[in-house]
Amino acid sequence: MENLQSLLHGFTIAVTVPHLTLMVIGVLLGILVGVLPGLGAPNGVSLLLPLTFGMQPVSAIILLSSMYWGALFGGSVTSILFNIPGEPSSVATTFDGYPMARDGRPTTALATAFGSAAFGALVGVILITFLASWVAQVALAFGPPEYFAVYFLAFASFVGMGGAAPIKTVVALAIGFAIAAIGIDTVSGSVRLTMGIDELVKGVSFVVAVMGLFGIGELLIAVEEEFSARAVSSRVDWKEVFRALGRLPHHGIALLRSAAIGCWMGITPGGPTAASFMSYGIAKRFSSNGARFGTGEAEGIVAPETADHAAGTSALLPMLSLGIPGSATAAVMMGGLMIWGLNPGPMLFVDQKDFVWGLIASMYVGNIVAVALVLLTVPVFAALMRIPFAVIAPLIVIICVVGAYSVSNSYLDVVLMLGFGVVGYLFKKLHYPLAPLVLAIVIGDKAEDAFRQAMLMSKGSLGIFFANGLVTTLVLAGMALLLLPLALQIVRLLRKPDVSAQEKVRII
Amino acid sequence: MISRRALEIAAAVLTGIFGVVVVVSSFDNGIGWSSAGVDAGTFPFLTGIIIVLGSLYNLGQGALGRGTLAIVRVAVTPSELRRLAGLFVPAAIFVAVIPMIGMYLASAAYVFAVLALPKRQSVLRALVIAAATPLALYVVFERMFQVSLPHGALAAAFGF
Repeated sequence: MENLQSLLHGFTIAVTVPHLTLMVIGVLLGILVGVLPGLGAPNGVSLLLPLTFGMQPVSAIILLSSMYWGALFGGSVTSILFNIPGEPSSVATTFDGYPMARDGRPTTALATAFGSAAFGALVGVILITFLASWVAQVALAFGPPEYFAVYFLAFASFVGMGGAAPIKTVVALAIGFAIAAIGIDTVSGSVRLTMGIDELVKGVSFVVAVMGLFGIGELLIAVEEEFSARAVSSRVDWKEVFRALGRLPHHGIALLRSAAIGCWMGITPGGPTAASFMSYGIAKRFSSNGARFGTGEAEGIVAPETADHAAGTSALLPMLSLGIPGSATAAVMMGGLMIWGLNPGPMLFVDQKDFVWGLIASMYVGNIVAVALVLLTVPVFAALMRIPFAVIAPLIVIICVVGAYSVSNSYLDVVLMLGFGVVGYLFKKLHYPLAPLVLAIVIGDKAEDAFRQAMLMSKGSLGIFFANGLVTTLVLAGMALLLLPLALQIVRLLRKPDVSAQEKVRII
Repeated sequence: MISRRALEIAAAVLTGIFGVVVVVSSFDNGIGWSSAGVDAGTFPFLTGIIIVLGSLYNLGQGALGRGTLAIVRVAVTPSELRRLAGLFVPAAIFVAVIPMIGMYLASAAYVFAVLALPKRQSVLRALVIAAATPLALYVVFERMFQVSLPHGALAAAFGF
């Protein structure tokens, strides 16, 4: 009850005209950086940071966190419309969002994504409100073995769910791991797999790989098929926005499950990216529509979006309560906290009650503001699909080139991006799955680091992965998820020997 | 025309070469267990081996014409190949000239060339889009978010 009272007090701080104005400005800027690939929430937050020095800390954090919400929402827009994920965490949204938009339903796809994202964020904030102290303890229980177990769980829930040939999946996954290993190895500090090219020391950024594999690769597939987007009706269809939102409760189970996965992955610092992949994988496996995933299923949008935002929101908690930034954006924000004269960490909840509860209240209000603004923009973004393909294709190429360059001001990245485009086309054409490749690039090196640190702790004994209840549960759950499809396959083969050959599945 | 068999073989050879490169360069970092724990080269070495073995399997399947796509004989027809080149070649030229003339000039020229030359759009419209693109890039990246895009050797020669 004490929390509830503090929250109500927080609302009196957050819901004032100047603060609401700041939220609108923050959200709009956030949507802009989210939509543009290459620019992300960290860019926006670091740009606004100097402007906040003269502000009250509460106002400053409200502006920055609103920008963060806007960027989270904006990242999904290009994923759905052009198959270019603006942020790592919106990759899984492309799997069903893009086919749906291509099918002539961009409004539905965007509205579904934003609606479920808002739900996920809301669950995340409620979790922060009531479980702040408990959650902080869970995060503290996490060491290298637990980290590895969480990543293992994410891989296990995702690998083997696509319809691709198993060996091709294995090759794609291994290539992803190898790409993730390029650059400086964080455990030993030595440089790996640079093949004598100095610029590769910084590693291959995820953004570069994804913009090539998904953006350029998809573009090549599209011209080959003489693609033209299904005619989108020219008038702004507001009713469709509300119809899509009204259909969300039909996916109630998916919403709740994905929110739970998202919160769990946000607190255990698995992060939004792992959360969205895992949620998609589990939804595909357990949904009654699972077989149609990848062709534009609404549930295939609901699952990753809800988990992404639930994780993104609950990931702010470790920053506030422990002083551990969960992401690049959180790290910049934490820098801000210190500049404003606040000390992130357990004492913040005691010393700076107004600040903490003002922020938490602003998360509720800020998300409502964000979802309202972003829904208003849906028809504008959906209208982009009406631009003729001949015009939009070179613009997508330019966006990918600029995006790849701006990641670290490197021309080599642009060339690499184009190379990834060819690989993406080739892989798609020959049914090599791209999703395991991307997943391995994103969390492969983190999983490897965690594994090796765990091995250092245990002096080489694998027993450390069964040392306590938490890590044992995680590892066993991962193994179960990994072996489940195999077992199901065997059962199916024993029953009907010829049914599996007839299945037509989209490779993702 | 490119047959699917040739494409499968090409892809398997490409992934195989990548695997070999990974294996060879992982030797530099040491493989196995040392006083510093699992050596840095161990994981790249293992993934490299997996890539090579998998590629060999895919190569065999592709060469024998087996596997999931066995019914599809032709992968890319000549007209499809022309359309692919129509998108990729200008894009590659665009990327190639960026170090020389910079992002802004290159993007304007690229957009104009792709839109006006195949007569997809009227020259006037192509000109407008070609002028608007670098302008939008400049305002958003250079002005608003202070991300500097490459200006190119040409601009440097003029002292920008």
